Amino acid sequence: MSGKRLIPVQCGLSDVAGVSRRGFLGGTAVGVGGALAADMRAVNGLRAEEIAGELRRGEKHVILLWLAGGASQLETWDPKPGVKTGGPFAAIPTNVAGIQVSELLPKLAQRMHLTAVIRSLNTKIADHGRGADLVERGRLDDPGLRYPDLGAVVAKELGRLESTVPDYVSLYTSTEGRRKGTSGFLGARYAPLFLAENMAPPNTGLHERLTAAEHQDRAALRDLLSKRFTAEHRGSTVGSLNSAYQRVQGMMASAGLFNIEQEPAEVRARYGPTQFGEQCLIARRLVEAGVPFVKVARAWWDSHGQNFETHLELCADLDHCMSVLLDDLQERGLLEKTLVITLGEFGRTPGINASLGRDHFASAWSCSLSGLGIRGGVVHGATDAEGHTVVDGEASAGDLFATILQAVGIDHTHEYMVGSRPTPLADFGSKPIRSVLV
Amino acid sequence: MPPDTPTTSLLRGAATGSDRLVLALVRCCLLLVLLLGPLPCLAAQTTETDSIAVLIDNAIDQQNVAAGITTAPQADPDTLLRRTTLDLAGRIPTSRERDWYLLLPAETRQQQLVDRLMQLPDFDFHLRNSLDELLLPERPNDGEFREYLLTAVRERRPWSRMFREMLLAAPADGPDKGAAQFVRSRVRELDDLTNDTAVLFFGVNISCAKCHDHPLVADWKQDHYYGMQAFFHRTFTSKKNLILEKPFGGVKFRTTAGVDRDAALMFLNGAVVTDATPSYTDEEKKSAEEQIRRLEREDDAQPVPVSFSPRQALIDTAIADQQQQYLARNIVNRTWARLVGTGFVDPPDQMHSGNPASHPELLQSLGADLVAHDYDLRRLIRSIVLSRAYARSSSWTSETAQPASQTFAVAVARPLTPRQLSASLLIATRSAGNWPAVDEVAAKPDEWQKRRTDLENQANGWMREFEQPSRDFQIAVDEALFFSNNDRVQNDLLRDGGDRLVNSLKAAETPQQAARLLWTVVCSREPAEAETQVVVDWFARVPQRQDSDVQALLWAVLAGAEFRFNH
Repeated sequence: MSGKRLIPVQCGLSDVAGVSRRGFLGGTAVGVGGALAADMRAVNGLRAEEIAGELRRGEKHVILLWLAGGASQLETWDPKPGVKTGGPFAAIPTNVAGIQVSELLPKLAQRMHLTAVIRSLNTKIADHGRGADLVERGRLDDPGLRYPDLGAVVAKELGRLESTVPDYVSLYTSTEGRRKGTSGFLGARYAPLFLAENMAPPNTGLHERLTAAEHQDRAALRDLLSKRFTAEHRGSTVGSLNSAYQRVQGMMASAGLFNIEQEPAEVRARYGPTQFGEQCLIARRLVEAGVPFVKVARAWWDSHGQNFETHLELCADLDHCMSVLLDDLQERGLLEKTLVITLGEFGRTPGINASLGRDHFASAWSCSLSGLGIRGGVVHGATDAEGHTVVDGEASAGDLFATILQAVGIDHTHEYMVGSRPTPLADFGSKPIRSVLV
Repeated sequence: MPPDTPTTSLLRGAATGSDRLVLALVRCCLLLVLLLGPLPCLAAQTTETDSIAVLIDNAIDQQNVAAGITTAPQADPDTLLRRTTLDLAGRIPTSRERDWYLLLPAETRQQQLVDRLMQLPDFDFHLRNSLDELLLPERPNDGEFREYLLTAVRERRPWSRMFREMLLAAPADGPDKGAAQFVRSRVRELDDLTNDTAVLFFGVNISCAKCHDHPLVADWKQDHYYGMQAFFHRTFTSKKNLILEKPFGGVKFRTTAGVDRDAALMFLNGAVVTDATPSYTDEEKKSAEEQIRRLEREDDAQPVPVSFSPRQALIDTAIADQQQQYLARNIVNRTWARLVGTGFVDPPDQMHSGNPASHPELLQSLGADLVAHDYDLRRLIRSIVLSRAYARSSSWTSETAQPASQTFAVAVARPLTPRQLSASLLIATRSAGNWPAVDEVAAKPDEWQKRRTDLENQANGWMREFEQPSRDFQIAVDEALFFSNNDRVQNDLLRDGGDRLVNSLKAAETPQQAARLLWTVVCSREPAEAETQVVVDWFARVPQRQDSDVQALLWAVLAGAEFRFNH
C-alpha cells in the first residue's frame, strides 16, 4: 500500500502527563490561551511561527464563487457578438491583447492578466442537481461510494489537523439551488461549516449562563479527566475526540471572522453593501486567517426567461465584487496563495428561447481561474462560431477538478484507500489543463 | 486423507489441563450436531450455545499462540458490565443494575447478565436499531421500516426470513408493511439496489465490476454485476407505491471488449437461475407495457400477472447456497464486527478470495451454526458476548506494539452510535434513584417496557446531533461545539431538578461522596483516587461551591473520552 493515503489520518494525544494537582488548570489554560493567541495572529495577518509542514498546509486557499443556476458563458467569458446566438451585448477588449470578454465584465476585463478562462467545458449533464453533483465532485457517485466535493478534498489536503479555524466554509444565503456540500467518504471531519440563514456559525457563542473563564476551566477539567482514558486507549478515533475539543476555543474565537463590522469602513465600502460583496469580504477574512476553502454562492443565474436583464444585474455584481476581491487579496499578498474560481453547475444554451431566455447547457461552457498556480491572461479551448460545440481543448468535469487540485499543489493522482478500493483524488483518466497552470 | 471439518480442526487447539476435558465434551457435542444436524431441543439455552463461545476462543487463541501474540487480560467486571449493557441493551447500565451485578458470583456473572439483558425490551430495541443503521443508513428515522424491524426482532424471526421479507417487499398490512422500505428506498436507482443488496446481505461489493471485470478481485466479473442486476431489473413502483415486477425484460450490457451481451440471472457463487419467463407475443407485450404505464400513473390500475419473479429467484438461490453461505457468513461477520470492533473479513463488504478472513474456519463454522439453527441471531449474539475474546480489556499500556485488530487480542474502544450515546446521556444525567432496581423490573416488566419506550423516544430527539460512526471514524468539531455551547446541553442535560444527578451531586456532603456518585452513575465504576482528588481540588478552588461548579464537573465527565466510547 505504499504511496497510498489512508483516510483519515489523525494522531492521538501523545503527551499524557500524570495528574498534577492544582497545576492542571493553569497548565491547560496556557495551552488554550496559546491556541487563541496563534489564531489572533493569523487574523491580524501576521506570520505565526514556522512549524514545518503543518504551517505550510495552512497557507494555501481556494475561494469558489459558485454561480448557482448556471451563468451564461456568452454573457461572461465567451461572448459571440454579431451572430444569431450572440444576444445584445458587445465584446470588449481586456488588458491582455487578443482576449475579449463580455461588456458586462468591464472591471474584470482590466484584471485579465490575473485570470485564465476555460471556454471548452463539456460536462454533458444539464439538470441542476446532477450537474452540480458532477461539477462539485469531478465525477458522479458510484453505487456504495459517495465522493467528497472539492471543498472537502481541499480541506483534507490543505487544512491543518489541529486547526483552530474551520477548514471548509460554505456561504449559501439564497434558497434557490441551495446545497450543503458533501464530504462523502472523508466523513464529518471534512464536512463544510454551512451558513445559510445566519452568518454566525452555530454553537460558537458563549452560553449566557457561563463566563469565558468558566467555559475554559470546564474545558480544562474535561481535558484532564479525559487523559486517563486516552493514555490507555490509542488509535485515531479515540484521539479525534480530544482533537475536536481542542478546536473549540479556536472555532469560537474565529466566529468573529464572520463579523465584517470588524473591518474598517473604507474596506467595507469598497466591497459594497450587497450580500455577495459582504460575503466576498468574509471569504477574504477567512482566507487571511488560514481557512483553506471558502465557497460563496451567488444565485440565481437560471435565466430561462429574460436572460439579458438577469445577466445585466448579476454580472455587474460579480464584476464588481470579484474585482475588489482580487485587488484586496493581491494588496495583502494573498492572491499568490489563493485560487479564486468562478463556476456553476453548467452554462446556458446559445439558442435564445421565446421568452428571451437561455436554457440549461452543459456541452460547451466556461469557467475562470485566478491567482494561486494559475497562468493569468490565458484562454484555454474554444467553441464554434455560434457556441454550440467545443472545437478545441475539450475539458470534462474531472479535468477541471484535476486542474484545480494541481493549481494549489495537490497531486490529483494520489489515491485514498476507501476500504480496499484505491480512489484517486480526481476521477480516473482526468487530465489537468496544463496551459492554464503556472 | 479427508480434510478436517472446520469445527474439529479448531478444537484441536492449544488445550491444556482441565480444558481438555471440556474440549472433549464440546467436541462430542459438536460432532453430534454435525452428524445429526440441528438439535432444536438444545438450541435454546445452556451448554451448546456456550460451546460456540468455546469454539470462538479456541480458534482465536490457537492462532495467537501460534503467532506468539500475547492477549490482553479479561476486562474488569465494571468495564464488562458497561460494554455488555451497551451492546445488548443499547445504553449504559443504571447504577442500580450495577449494584445487582456486583453481587453476582464471579463464575456466572457474565452469563447471568447476558441472560437478563436479552430478556429486556432493551435488547429488541437495540438489535432493531443496529439492523436499521446497517440497512437504511441514509434514512435514520424511517418509521415504517423501524416498526417492521422491531416486530421481526420481537417475534425472533430468523434472519433468512427477514431477508426474504425485505427483498420480496410484498404488499402487507400492519407492521410488516415496512419490510418493503429496503427495496422501495432504492428502487429508483437500479445500481444502488443491486450493489446495496450485495454489500449489506452478502458482504460483497461488486460495483467495480460494473464497468469492467473487477481489477483486484478475480472472483468478480461483469457477468456477476449484471447477473445481480438482472434479478432487480424488472422491479418498479406503482403510483400507490407498491413494489411490483414486470412480467418480462432483461439486462443487456457491453463488455470491455465491446461485445453486447444479455445478462444471465447469475448469483455471486456463479449459480445461474433458469429464466422461466414464458414467451409473450408482441401483442401481449404491448398490452402489458401499457398496463405498467397505467400502474405507474394511476391509483386504481390492475396489477399485471407475473409468472416468474427474478427477485423471488434471488432470495431462493441465496438461501439455498449451502456452499458459500454468503447470507449467513455476512451477518455473522457483521454481527462480530459490531460487537468486537473488526470483522473476520475486513472491510465487511470485501468477502472474496483476494481478502481472506482472519479466521476462515471459524467464520465458516459460525455461519454453518447459524444456518443449522434457523438463522437465530440471538443465539449468535449470545455466543459472542459469552466468549473470552469479547471480554478482553481494551486498554493497552504495554511498551510493545498493540496487536493488530484482527488478532482480537485486545478489545477495541468503539464510538457509541447516536442512539446509544443519546440514551446513555439521558441515563447518566438522572439521579441513581430515578431508575428501578433489577428485582423491580423483573416484578413489573410492563412498567419497564413503558419506561424504556419513553427513553427510546427521548433518545430519538437527541440522536440527530451526533454522527453515525463509519470506518476510521473521526469525531467532528461540530459535536464538541454542540456539547460546549448548545442550549440543550446547558438547559436540559445539566438541568437541576429532583430527578437529576446535578441535584444529588449538590446534596453530596463531601467532595469524595460527589466523586463516587458521579463516577458510579456516569462511568459505571468507582472513581480512581486521582479522580476523587481532582474533584476535591475542583471544589476547593472556590470559597463557596456554586451550582455551576457541579454542572461543570458533570459536563466534564459526560464530554470526556471514556463516556463517548464503548470500551
